Amino acid sequence: MGLETLTHLGRKTARNARLIAGVLVCVYTVALSGCASLWPQTAELRRALPQGIPEKTELREVPFFPQEEYQCGPAALATVLSASGSRVAPEDLVAQVYLPERKGSLQVEMLAAARRHGRVSYQLAPRLEDLLRELAAGNPVVVLQNLGVSDGWHYAVAVGYDYDSGMLVLRSGTTERDLLPFTAHEVVWKRSGYWAMVVLPPDRIAATADESRWLSAVAAMERTGDEANARLAYGTFLKRWPDNVTAAIGLANAHYALGALPDAERVLRDAIKRAPDSVIVLNNLAQTLSDQGKNEEALPLIERAVERTGTTSSPYSKAVLETRDTIRRRLAGK
Amino acid sequence: MKSAWVRTVCRLLVVLMVWTPYQVAQAGMIGTDQAAAPSSQADRAAVLSFVSRADVAGQLQSMGLDAATAKDRVAAMTDAEVAYLAGRIEQVPAGADTAGVILLILIIAAIWWVWKR
Repeated sequence: MGLETLTHLGRKTARNARLIAGVLVCVYTVALSGCASLWPQTAELRRALPQGIPEKTELREVPFFPQEEYQCGPAALATVLSASGSRVAPEDLVAQVYLPERKGSLQVEMLAAARRHGRVSYQLAPRLEDLLRELAAGNPVVVLQNLGVSDGWHYAVAVGYDYDSGMLVLRSGTTERDLLPFTAHEVVWKRSGYWAMVVLPPDRIAATADESRWLSAVAAMERTGDEANARLAYGTFLKRWPDNVTAAIGLANAHYALGALPDAERVLRDAIKRAPDSVIVLNNLAQTLSDQGKNEEALPLIERAVERTGTTSSPYSKAVLETRDTIRRRLAGK
Repeated sequence: MKSAWVRTVCRLLVVLMVWTPYQVAQAGMIGTDQAAAPSSQADRAAVLSFVSRADVAGQLQSMGLDAATAKDRVAAMTDAEVAYLAGRIEQVPAGADTAGVILLILIIAAIWWVWKR
């Protein structure tokens, strides 16, 4: 081979290399600028670590239940329920969340089923930062991802993160420690509208809980008829937000349902100082007093409630009038 | 003809089962759910919730659950959740299985995060 040919070949390779490099730079530039819009929250997060959370955390003690076919719903739910201290296996949850015809589990049912185990289930605000905050507070988070082209819905449980490498740690499918970059996670998570939930025992409150939405979550749990856990959850709520009258009503109702009338009375007396015009507080306090034989004290309270409902077409009129009848009857019967 | 009858009877049974109150209200006490969501049209809301619950329970049943299971599952839902599900159980996402995550996304994503950090 002559020197001339070699030089020619070298020049050709160099030209090719330059071309390839150019193409790569173009691809990178497009990918890097364009991709940021694919994961807006991660882009935001990358600027700075949100205040008050550590660089990395991992909840190693969260158990792992490798899922059976289509059973990621029961597996994910069992994971967070167990982490919250409720002994339950995925098999026990199949009848509570799995929908045979859909070969999967609905989001609403994931939230609802947790309540049946005396836990408060709470849907997070659709923010990656909130997900990290819950993890930092020690709460594993169920996320709904879409891994397929159109219908690849999948529940996984986030158990940790490392901000520096931008990685999320998940219990997912049959993988105990699935590492997923924040970016990739956002792409598959965004498709569910950033759906995420935490499941907590009644004596705890989610790190990112909003007052009125947490109250709804507790009331939803009370709805399942678990009065003992509802009492605990309302009590916990009131320690954080002591001025909330609705929560006080809930706590008093739970006391009442459990037969602890003096406790119900105490809570309602406290509430009436803050909400002297609340028809519900007046009615429920009057009822509680009357049930303890204090009808003389109950009567003026229920009269006040009737007065309040009389002026407007209150949805509580009927209940209030019934309570007054009961109290009058009891007084007459003496 | 016979199956149509059976279906009608089944639906009727579902409605009747759902009809039984979920939460036996304490005599005289106004419930927390009413306090949390006061409505000037409370009765109308109650009836609507009622119909929706029967509807959702019926749909769950048609998707492979027995009547008692469907009823228990609807009972754990809030009114808002029932209203959301009514009529769209077939469209809402049902989390099921792991599919392969697109590798390319993973690679670009990893590079992007590390880029200039």
